[in-house]
Amino acid sequence: MDFSQATLSFAVLAPGVAFGVLAFLWLLGWVPTERVISRITGLTFSAAIFALAMIVWRLGATGDPSVVVTFGNWFAVHDYHFPLVLMADRLSLPFLGLTAVLSGLIGQFSATYLHRERGFLRFFLLLHLFAFGSLLAFAAGSFDLLVGGWEMVGITSVLLIAFFQQRTAPVENGLRVFAVYRACDIGLLLGVFAMHRWAGTASFAGGLPDLTGTQAAIVSLLLLLAAAGKAAQVPFSGWLPRAMEGPTPSSAIFYGAISIHAGAYLLLRVQPMIVQSPLASAFVIAIGVLTAIHGTIVGRASADAKTSLAYASLTQVGVVFVEIGFGWKWIAITHILGHATVRTLQFLRAPSMLHDYHAMHSAIGGELSPAGQHLEELFPEPVQLWLYRWALDRGHLDTILDRFVIHPLFRLSQIFARLDGLGLDQPVGQQEPVALSLQSSAGRGAD
Amino acid sequence: MPESALILSAVAIGIPWLAAILAVVTGRQSRVIGIAAASACVLASGILLHAAPPGVSLKEALMVLYSCLAMLAMLVLPRRDSNPGTIAGMLFVLGSTLLAYSTENLLILVAAWILTTVPFFRTQWFGARTWRPRVGLLLSSIALALAIGLIAADGGAMSIDRLRDQSPGGMAVFWLLVVAVIFRKGICPAHAWVADAAEGGPAIPTALLLNGHFGALLVAKLIVPLFPHAAQNLFPVLSYLALATALYVAIRALTENSPRRLLAYLALSQSACILAGLESGTPEGMTGALVHWFVVTISTMGLFGILRLLEVRFGENLTASRHLGLAEHAPRLAVFFAIFGLALVGLPGTLSFCSQDLLIHGTLMSHPLTGLLLPPAIAMNAVSVFRLFARLFLGKRRTGFTVMADALPRERWILAAGVLFVVLGGLFPNAIVSLGASVRGVAGPVASASVSSRRAP
Repeated sequence: MDFSQATLSFAVLAPGVAFGVLAFLWLLGWVPTERVISRITGLTFSAAIFALAMIVWRLGATGDPSVVVTFGNWFAVHDYHFPLVLMADRLSLPFLGLTAVLSGLIGQFSATYLHRERGFLRFFLLLHLFAFGSLLAFAAGSFDLLVGGWEMVGITSVLLIAFFQQRTAPVENGLRVFAVYRACDIGLLLGVFAMHRWAGTASFAGGLPDLTGTQAAIVSLLLLLAAAGKAAQVPFSGWLPRAMEGPTPSSAIFYGAISIHAGAYLLLRVQPMIVQSPLASAFVIAIGVLTAIHGTIVGRASADAKTSLAYASLTQVGVVFVEIGFGWKWIAITHILGHATVRTLQFLRAPSMLHDYHAMHSAIGGELSPAGQHLEELFPEPVQLWLYRWALDRGHLDTILDRFVIHPLFRLSQIFARLDGLGLDQPVGQQEPVALSLQSSAGRGAD
Repeated sequence: MPESALILSAVAIGIPWLAAILAVVTGRQSRVIGIAAASACVLASGILLHAAPPGVSLKEALMVLYSCLAMLAMLVLPRRDSNPGTIAGMLFVLGSTLLAYSTENLLILVAAWILTTVPFFRTQWFGARTWRPRVGLLLSSIALALAIGLIAADGGAMSIDRLRDQSPGGMAVFWLLVVAVIFRKGICPAHAWVADAAEGGPAIPTALLLNGHFGALLVAKLIVPLFPHAAQNLFPVLSYLALATALYVAIRALTENSPRRLLAYLALSQSACILAGLESGTPEGMTGALVHWFVVTISTMGLFGILRLLEVRFGENLTASRHLGLAEHAPRLAVFFAIFGLALVGLPGTLSFCSQDLLIHGTLMSHPLTGLLLPPAIAMNAVSVFRLFARLFLGKRRTGFTVMADALPRERWILAAGVLFVVLGGLFPNAIVSLGASVRGVAGPVASASVSSRRAP
């Protein structure tokens, strides 16, 4: 293992090791102070940023296109292998850098923001786990390993949405988000299986698996399902406002920066495959366009700052999907980097937005002119009203999902429960009413 | 079998039975007796595993696993439940299960099969309130006894080794064995007894019974080696049933609010995945099944153990219909529950991530269409696990409880050991994955034949 390989391994593993050690010692009874936690966090992410900077410097100096670290197979059975390959190339390095820098930044911000908050340790543990998951997903040299990081990001996201666990709304919203994530991750699992089946490998360290046109289209569409779920694209956008229940720093890094762009990263990684299939490209573009329109309309009717910002993020990610669909890879990467940075700042400033506005009003000696309103005024009034109603219900996406997926599934479950009770004097177990299924009609997010 | 191995097996099987008698006779220090006996089993099984040649160490590995599981159960058992009768019953089940794992004789196997069920027929011991668990266990025992009886009537030997590839007794025996698997494993439509047993019986001993995985044992030890040709042609039927069970029970769990019943459905759905993997005939599926066997065993015991600890602390009327906020009172139990729960459904970094990866690949490889049922079933199980965790542990803190009731040191250390197993197993899975060769060795020709036929494009 040469210097660059060791450095990449260190950068990816550092937050994971910090999480593992802190969590295990806590389980055995140790409770670290806030100062110790924030010092460990600062040290971990500073070291990770330094390590990534060294890799960039080495790649620049040597002219190598990438650093690849092969640890062999995590496990192997017959002719199926799970390769442990880390890779930092021109696509993954910007994402790795973004993750390390923003995680460190959020760590420093949160040390003050969450001072004396119940769950301080829990937040930092989850931040480390999230950073490890993200770094693993972005540095993975195979789709198998990417799945591991991808799912870690999903679970930490859900646990942070339910961070304020004393209230039921965040908890139930977390459950809803978890359900959407798991449903969409089926696409990723099947896509990876399809690659193994057709190409014999899911590794992309030496180039994407070799697939025919139809196979590439099927794999691309399966991965698109996973990417759309993670990036809250239409028709899965309903979970995004629910996710705003979490603490602001976690909303910033998840839904302003890293997690929301993980889907775009996945599509960028398989972009040659998408370009190979006009059908997949058309789907990516269509979903992106629909999401951008949906996000901008719904965002205008959102009553709170974080939800407005979340929909603004959604709009931009929709545009990124369009760029990917058209094959404009570097425009998409640049767009993501700029968007993630600005949006993180906006989210972090959201709690003091009123203060900021007052400062601006004082500075200019009046109110800021409202932006964007003229667009709605172009429509006739009945259309404006319809759009307003549509935006208030967030495009009816949750309602559609409830009516056509969740409620039928719960009714089926209740039929099974009645079948299970046959032959007994009284019904078995305790049944959840359909109306409460995954809080379909209640707890619609931060507002 | 070498003489030393025979002696060690006898020690591993005999000590729990003797200890059971001792616990009942003395009526004192029963937990200490139970832990000492389980430790002796772990030691004896460990030596057997160490001495076993690589590639043929399946039964020894299962003996170590089950002995460790029994020790975990003894340690996590609340003081309220730790009476001589319960400890003796658990030791009796331990000895009988080890006997079933270690024997190569059909008559001893059927005897051990029946012995493990005996404590669950008596309501005063481990019996459930409803009749279905007793009927389920009884029918499975009758089916197996009939099958063995037919083999004996056929004039065949009683040694599994000598009957290998012989299809003794013909299709009647094959189908009787399948029926025994269906009832014992709780495959649809014979699944309801498992949830009844978990809800109406003692939680930890019931988890011990379910985690014997006798259905899977029968498939791996008897059906596949004895009936390779029938297995190759007719196994898809059982495989479809297992996959359907995994999905059916996962859907059923979505609206269940009784924590014990919900955990039973999750255990059942995940156990069905083991069967589906074994029946896939692919090396990935069979290895995944074995690894998943380990995961399900440890995770479900951890979950049932934690649930019982919560019942002892907060009352037995726990429900998932509202948020109980127990994490405020028991934060470490909450974390242990979350880890075991998510480990059961494929949390990355745990052993189940590896096992489910292999299972999905194996089942999809052999059954590209019906195998598609597995990922949705696992996804729904994950949602149910998280729902149960959220409802039990999150939400507004209850004011009725005045004492802090987090895990005691004894519970904390043993649950931490369980967590370490699933996490370290996930980080370094090769030690357990390599045992998959043993399953494939047992399956032998059927695996290779079915793999080659099913993999043909």
